[in-house]
Formats: sequence, C-alpha cells, structure tokens
Amino acid sequence: MSLIEFRRADLGYGSVPVLAGVEFEIPPLSFVGILGHNGSGKTTLLKTTLGLIAPLRGQVLRHGARPGLPRFGYVPQKERLDPIFPLSAFDVAVMGTYSRVEPLQRLRGLQKKGLVERCLAEAGASELAGRPYSDLSGGQRQRVMIARALAAEPEILALDEPLAGIDVTTQKSLLALLRRLKEERGLAVMMVSHRVQAEKDLFTHVVWCDQGRAELGPAAQMLSSGRLSEVFKSEP
Amino acid sequence: MMTLLEILKPDFILHHALYGSVVIGFVCPLVGVYFLLRRLVFWGVALPQVSAAGIAFAFLLQGFGLAWLAGSESQEKHLAIVASMLFTGLAILALAALERRGRGVPEGRIGVLYALAWAGSILFVAWNAAGETEMLGLLKGEIVAISEEDFHAMLDVFGLIAACVFLFQKEFVLVSYDRDMAATLGRSVLAWDILLYSIVGLAISLGVMTVGPLVIFGFLVVPPMAALPWARGMTSFSLLASFLGGFSALAGFYVSYTRDLPLAPVVVGAACATLLLSMGLRSLMGRVR
Repeated sequence: MSLIEFRRADLGYGSVPVLAGVEFEIPPLSFVGILGHNGSGKTTLLKTTLGLIAPLRGQVLRHGARPGLPRFGYVPQKERLDPIFPLSAFDVAVMGTYSRVEPLQRLRGLQKKGLVERCLAEAGASELAGRPYSDLSGGQRQRVMIARALAAEPEILALDEPLAGIDVTTQKSLLALLRRLKEERGLAVMMVSHRVQAEKDLFTHVVWCDQGRAELGPAAQMLSSGRLSEVFKSEP
Repeated sequence: MMTLLEILKPDFILHHALYGSVVIGFVCPLVGVYFLLRRLVFWGVALPQVSAAGIAFAFLLQGFGLAWLAGSESQEKHLAIVASMLFTGLAILALAALERRGRGVPEGRIGVLYALAWAGSILFVAWNAAGETEMLGLLKGEIVAISEEDFHAMLDVFGLIAACVFLFQKEFVLVSYDRDMAATLGRSVLAWDILLYSIVGLAISLGVMTVGPLVIFGFLVVPPMAALPWARGMTSFSLLASFLGGFSALAGFYVSYTRDLPLAPVVVGAACATLLLSMGLRSLMGRVR
C-alpha cells in the first residue's frame, strides 16, 4: 500500500491553488525528489504531505505502517529556525523525542539521553551535541536537524532543500548519509531540491512541479534529457 | 547595609510591597523570555499600556456612578483587574490573529495599538477626574497600598504562572522555535499559543494593576536581554532572567525606599544597570579570549 495518496488535489494557500489536480501515490521505501523552479509549489507539496496545509480541493490520504497516520521526520529549510534561541545541538535533537510522549510527560533522563545520542551519532553529529546550535555551520546544522527527525522514529523523512547554501563536499557527505539512513532504517524519503545533478543517483522517483502541475514518475524517466529540456524551457 | 537588613525583616512595615515587587520581578521575566525569543518585544511595550487603559476605563465606569459594578474599595480593584484582563486579552487575541494571517507590518500594528492605548488612558482619566490620582499612582508604580488579601491573591496567581511556564516549557519552546515541526509531531500549535498568550495576559494585567505599566515592561524585556548572552539552554535562560528580575526589584525597592524616589523608574533603572553590566562583562570576556 502507498504511504501518501493524492487524489485530484488542488494545493495552495487561501483560495488560490499553486498546484492543481495533483494525483499520484508515494510508494513505501522510495526516495522521492521534488524538483522545480522557484515558486513552482515544491514546498507547498511537501507541507501538504506533512499535513501542515489542507488541500483546497480533493483528498490527501496518509497511511502509516501501523494503524493511524505515518510518523514524519521533518527537516525544514535551515534559515527558518531563529538563531536567537539559546539551544544546544542536543536540545534541538531532543525535540524529535516529543513525538513519543504526551504534552505533560517526559522521557526519562537516561532513556532520552541514549536515544538522542544514538540519533546524533547516526547523523554524524555526536561531537556537536554540546555546542550552541546557532554557532554551527550550515552542514552541521543539517546533520543535527536530521538527528532530530530520526529521534521521532519516522516512517517518512521529509527534507526541504537540505543542501541549499552548503559546500559541495558537505553536500556529498549529507547525500551519503541520507542514502545510508534510508537503507538501514527502511525509510521513505521525500526531498525538495533545486538541483538535479548531485542527487539524481539517489532518487527512485521524481515529482516535477511545473506550471501549476505536479507529476510523479520513475527517476530514470523523469530525469531523461528530453524531460529536463522540456522543464527548463518553461523556466520563467 | 542596616537598612537592607531592616527591610528584609518580616515586620518591616512595607513588607507586602517589597515581597510583591520581588515576586513580580521573578515571574515576569519568565514570560518575557518568550517575547524576546518570538521577537515580540514591542508587544511588551504595548500590552502593559493597553492593560493600563483597561484600568483607566474601570475607573471611568466608577466615575460615571456605576456603583452596582463596584461598591467597596476592594470591589473597585476587582473591577479594575477584570477590565485590565479584558483589554489585554482582546489586544492579544487581535495581535495574534493578525500575526497568524501574516499580512501588514507587525511593528506598525503594535505602534497603532500603543498610541491608541495611551490616548484611551488619557481620555478615560480626563472624563473622570476622580480616577486621576489612582492612575498617577499606577503609572509611578505605587505598590505600597497593596492589602494583605490582594498580596496573597497575587502570590497565588504569580505562583501558578511560574509553575505553568516551567511545566509546559518544552511545548512552549517547541511551538515558538519550530511551529511546523510541532504540528508534524501532533501538537496543536494554536492551543499552545492560546495557553501561552493567556499566561502572558494574566501576568501583564495583574502585574500592571500591582506595580504599573513601566515596571512590567521593564521586567518583561530587560532581564531576559541581560540573561540571553549567558544562557546555555532554555532552563538556564529562564532561571537567570528570573533571578535578574528579582534582584532588580529588590535593589530598586531598596534605593526607592532609602532615597524616597518613585519605585517604578528606580526598579527599571536597576534592571537596565544589570543589562549594562551583562553587556560589559560579555564584551570584556570577548576581548580576553
């Protein structure tokens, strides 16, 4: 069964659809690249998938592996988080554990510490735990954000432009990390990206957001040279 | 030094006023840290003034002879508290709703609210000369007249506010830091915002009624600013801001008492002195490194 199912859904804010008639399914264990120009609706699609925005029309169905909604691990665009907060990398990663407890509950000290340390280690961010999050570089912040997402024990990892503003070497190591996490944890990954080159070998599927439409297909087909030239011809 | 020990004794004649100021000094910065982190510092300027306008409005009603609303002096105070909470609550609701819609200029809205609240306060007092004395006392921060009953009620409410801030800290931080993440984790961002804003409204309206708008603005903003550069997490940030607020209240009360000066400006002056000290120390440590 698919994890996410869009049924003739119009997506957008207010009453104006950014994407119209979206109809596809996100299969389990897939690595989906959400690609398109600036303002083409990539983030809108991701936020609707996460349930942060309701579709204007149509339906978006989410199926968890266990009964109920799937658990998401969300990695937002790094500029969205205000550096004024006096939080360490550990404090930020701990937020992922809140998915396991009710508002007034807390995970016990050792249980929480062990879980967060494990997630930081998986994301290659163990040595950053005690450092102020605002002092970290772009790549280090993304590793901490991925650790936070892992602490939520997700079925779907959703990343919004995780490689933006990051140097090429760090991009490569982040992509290697995502590939490893997907395989080891059996995750589905949805990643909004601006670029095609660096990530194209990772994607099993690609959604092209273009001219108010979103279309999903196998990566090989969607990233073929004919398809790419068609999309880039329409760049505003 | 003798005077300091004297005013700390339980039989000190103004001990309710002293303890009241210190309690407000401890608790208001706990709320104020969220103003600073959410970059809503200007709310801290406008809302105490709105609360003061509510109090002036209550005095106006009494001046118009609405005795059924308030007979005794204690009932008058209760009416003022209700009006203050009502005005503050409505202003918070309006600001939060406009903030969520994300249209317009946030600073502009707060500026308009502040101007309106000031104008309203002056007009309400102008229409009711009898309320002028009370309002002047309020603006100067005259806490000396606080009764035993009001003092204990204030302790209960501010104790509850402090307990809520620590009890719900992880939720308040989560929805303030990353609203989308909070929503994906199944938290109701709106519900937590409403709870936080209700606590803010309660702290401001009761605080303004007790020590006046100037002190409340000072406590909401200055101690958190002084504490932020030293904070190593939300708990240390909140505790340090609270300590600096309580310390400023005590120091301000001492100077006000010994020099016979109005309490509000002296307390705010003391808070600003801690901020300057914090900035100076930080800068000194930066140079040493």
